[in-house]
Amino acid sequence: MAQPLVKKDDDRDDEEYSPFLGIEKGAVLQEARVFNDPQLDARRCSQVITKLLYLLNQGETFTKVEATEVFFSVTKLFQSRDIGLRRMVYLIIKELSPSADEVIIVTSSLMKDMNSRTDMYRANAIRVLCRITDGTLLTQIERYLKQAIVDKNPVVASAALVSGIHLLQTNPEIVKRWSNEVQEAIQSRAALVQFHALALLHQIRQNDRLAVSKLVTSLTKGTVRSPLAQCLLIRYTSQVIRESGVNTQTGDRPFYDYLEGCLRHKAEMVIFEAARAITELSGVTTRELTPAITVLQLFLSSSKPVLRFAAVRTLNKVAMTHPMAVTNCNIDMESLISDQNRSIATLAITTLLKTGNESSVDRLMKQITNFMSDIADEFKIVVVEAIRSLCLKFPLKYRSLMNFLSNILREEGGFEYKKAIVDSIVILIRDIPDAKESGLLHLCEFIEDCEFTYLSTQILHFLGNEGPKTSDPSKYIRYIYNRVILENATVRASAVSTLAKFGAMIDSLKPRIFILLRRCLFDNDDEVRDRATLYLNTLGGDGSVVETDKDVKEFLFGSLDIPLTNMETSLKNYNPSEEPFDIDSVPKEVKSQPLAEKKAPGKKPTGLGAPPTVPTSAADAYERLLSSIPEFASFGKLFKSSAPVELTEAETEYAVNVVKHIFDRHVVFHYNCTNTIPEQLLENVSVIVDASEAEEFSEIGSKPLKSLPYDTPGQTFVAFEKPEGVPAVGKFSNMLRFTVKEVDPSTGEAEDDGVEDEYQLEDFEVVAADYMVKVGVSNFRNAWESMGPDFERIDEYGLGPRESLAESVNTVINLLGMQPCEGTEVVPTNSRSHSCLLSGLYIGNVKVLVRLSFGIDASKEVAMKLAVRSEDENVSDTIHEIVASG
Amino acid sequence: MLLAVLIANSEGNILVERFNGVPVEERSHWRSFLVKLGAENLIGVKNEELLVACHKSVYITYTVFGDVSVYVVGKDEYDELALAEVIFVITSALKDVCGKPPTERLFLDKYGKICLCLDEIVWKGLLDNTDKDRIKRLVRLKPPTEF
Repeated sequence: MAQPLVKKDDDRDDEEYSPFLGIEKGAVLQEARVFNDPQLDARRCSQVITKLLYLLNQGETFTKVEATEVFFSVTKLFQSRDIGLRRMVYLIIKELSPSADEVIIVTSSLMKDMNSRTDMYRANAIRVLCRITDGTLLTQIERYLKQAIVDKNPVVASAALVSGIHLLQTNPEIVKRWSNEVQEAIQSRAALVQFHALALLHQIRQNDRLAVSKLVTSLTKGTVRSPLAQCLLIRYTSQVIRESGVNTQTGDRPFYDYLEGCLRHKAEMVIFEAARAITELSGVTTRELTPAITVLQLFLSSSKPVLRFAAVRTLNKVAMTHPMAVTNCNIDMESLISDQNRSIATLAITTLLKTGNESSVDRLMKQITNFMSDIADEFKIVVVEAIRSLCLKFPLKYRSLMNFLSNILREEGGFEYKKAIVDSIVILIRDIPDAKESGLLHLCEFIEDCEFTYLSTQILHFLGNEGPKTSDPSKYIRYIYNRVILENATVRASAVSTLAKFGAMIDSLKPRIFILLRRCLFDNDDEVRDRATLYLNTLGGDGSVVETDKDVKEFLFGSLDIPLTNMETSLKNYNPSEEPFDIDSVPKEVKSQPLAEKKAPGKKPTGLGAPPTVPTSAADAYERLLSSIPEFASFGKLFKSSAPVELTEAETEYAVNVVKHIFDRHVVFHYNCTNTIPEQLLENVSVIVDASEAEEFSEIGSKPLKSLPYDTPGQTFVAFEKPEGVPAVGKFSNMLRFTVKEVDPSTGEAEDDGVEDEYQLEDFEVVAADYMVKVGVSNFRNAWESMGPDFERIDEYGLGPRESLAESVNTVINLLGMQPCEGTEVVPTNSRSHSCLLSGLYIGNVKVLVRLSFGIDASKEVAMKLAVRSEDENVSDTIHEIVASG
Repeated sequence: MLLAVLIANSEGNILVERFNGVPVEERSHWRSFLVKLGAENLIGVKNEELLVACHKSVYITYTVFGDVSVYVVGKDEYDELALAEVIFVITSALKDVCGKPPTERLFLDKYGKICLCLDEIVWKGLLDNTDKDRIKRLVRLKPPTEF
């Protein structure tokens, strides 16, 4: 009868009372004085330590004085013979982590424990000492640690081994001396000791490839008791495999049999580790993959979520490179779509999307539809991206995929999710012509009820460009004009621009567009009114319906070839006056271009966000600029413009960079100059170029800059003639010459008289890469095959000792100035060989493809094989010459 | 590296946290992230049923045990499978110390013992002891039975 009562009490206590209720640091520190009692109460002391631990675990911090005081008192507890208390003392010393000065207080006690006859004292003392030790103390205790590694008691041995793993970070040279003992410990019968010893020995020898290989060879033949050690061994084995490569004669891979054998181990973790190692082998064949896929397939139906997750995650990775190998698991994967764990379900879906064939798309989409409603946005985005790539893979299936995207577009969701869907639809419209009309209509329906201004304006812009080119453009007008009636000012303004684009492109719609635009003249937002007025005037909305002329179309659809930052500066500097703002006065120099170029390659393909024409529009802008200068107009078509090369250090008086424009028979150096001194006005600015180290070039003209006021970029040009089609190279030294006039900062007026002055600029070179335009190919293999071997040139080169493989690959890419294809510019860390695919357009519009194979040996000597195919054998030879002389 | 072991009560208050190699300024971020993860996913989950998540290269395995939820975070070699092993060791040690899936009160009553167990299980970010009987003996400074 009494028992239920007691239990009830207990339950009530559970709710109302915590042993740490109202715990406070100050009070606990007071309590810690019991550590100093001459008659130690072990139980009480343990309780106080528990409270200290609780405080520390709650994130409470102790001041240095507080910590030192507690630390000192704790050392007194070594006098107690109570075992439980001693264990607590070891823990609290580690947690308090005192500074080096105070450590000395406990070292003697710990050293004593380290030589104690009680094994457990020894083990714990080692662990604590290693936590608080420094280099000098370590040399003193090294002898004991070495002994401990081979101690009969596995706890002592493990303590010393794991201490070794930690100490290797701080005192590698000492720990490396323990190799022999560690080697002995690997043979230990205790599983954990073996595991720890293997980990330590590998860390000690990780930079010695031969030693690691020997270690792996001997252990894979022997017995490893602990599954954990077995996992480590599998990892080390795959590292050795990566570094040794396939036996070219037999086609066998060393150690594959060992990995395959591990697939039949009794511990799940070993099976899994082996399966994962096999799937990650470089250049793995289907025959090698099959047994690994089979065990992973079994894991897919495991009752443990962790195993299911691990299996589906690995299969997902395999599906990226070997989709066919994973198809056998599709049925198991489909049942995972309904898995409670949403991470598993999403991975299953995306794997299926990668491995599915054309006929299974519809069934899959049905399943996904049910699944989408109960996952979070972040998972949905992953699915949307997978569907996008699926659609690009099976363009014939666009109808059901597009329908799916439009359905989920109507459902609830955050901005990022909606943006991912819209981007996907836009990409599909661009890449699959048949999908255009339905895609545009889906987008139109979406903006009818879209809460995101950003997406609405982006879609309206896209609609303006694509809508007029469809078979029945008039059906979009209603959706667009609805925006003018229903939306906020930003969206209304975008809608007005879109209407104008329809008007400009389709004459039959013009009268009706004019009516709509005239209604916008009474809008209560001035931007909307301004746009409506502007478009009515440019399109001739005064009643006469005439064909829109080219300039207006250019104005509506062309890109603004002026950097927005420059435009902003010029507008800020413009004083309202009778004289209208002249857009031609805005400098076209692109200040931040190098940065933008650097960022570009890493970007994922986006739909609306980044129009892919950015680089060409910069080239267009240069071309237009140069052809507008009469002296250069006769040079013909611009082949390439380089990225700006800085000719001054940052933060000097004058900032100058040069862009090299390459024509068939000419080069034009385009100097962008900025004057950074407010008290100066520069006039008659020109660059004097010394081309004595560039023999094939002869100067034929220059265009000086009249005036260079403070902080307004200006440009001057120098043109050279060179032999036609020849990739002439050379070095040019430069001197900036100008007349400087003092400016009164208060009035901004310059003095009448100026002084002639010169300013030395850095040299620059015209190199072979300047004659190569980066042009990628979507499928390198196809391009290579279709180019044919007629003008193929192959040769091998020794690049000498280099810093790393990645550095060598990068240097050659930069030397040739070509576009790396299919991500081959990325060199995996630790790889000993690498292949890189490049594509480009050589001067004279000759297509060039390059295959590079690199190998590096232990002494960092790099060898390279270069295979070139091009449309012209001379060009193939030239590429080899560039490399040979580079 | 085992980046963190965190034990919280059902309201999301931290009972034990041990970080390894996580900068101090990032810890509160992890704390709230894990607690939120638990609040969203652990409702109705059976004792010791493992949940798993991954974020970039970091893996998280977590579960509920009695009144407390246990989270372990790892990266590199401590992937979801290794973490499952860690969490299994922790829950079996808890079961051993408390005798059953603990209430919060029971957990706090056994706090000192639990800290000692964790000390045996995780050592500066490395998994150390994995066998509950061995741990039970080690926290009492008894040598393991196999010896």
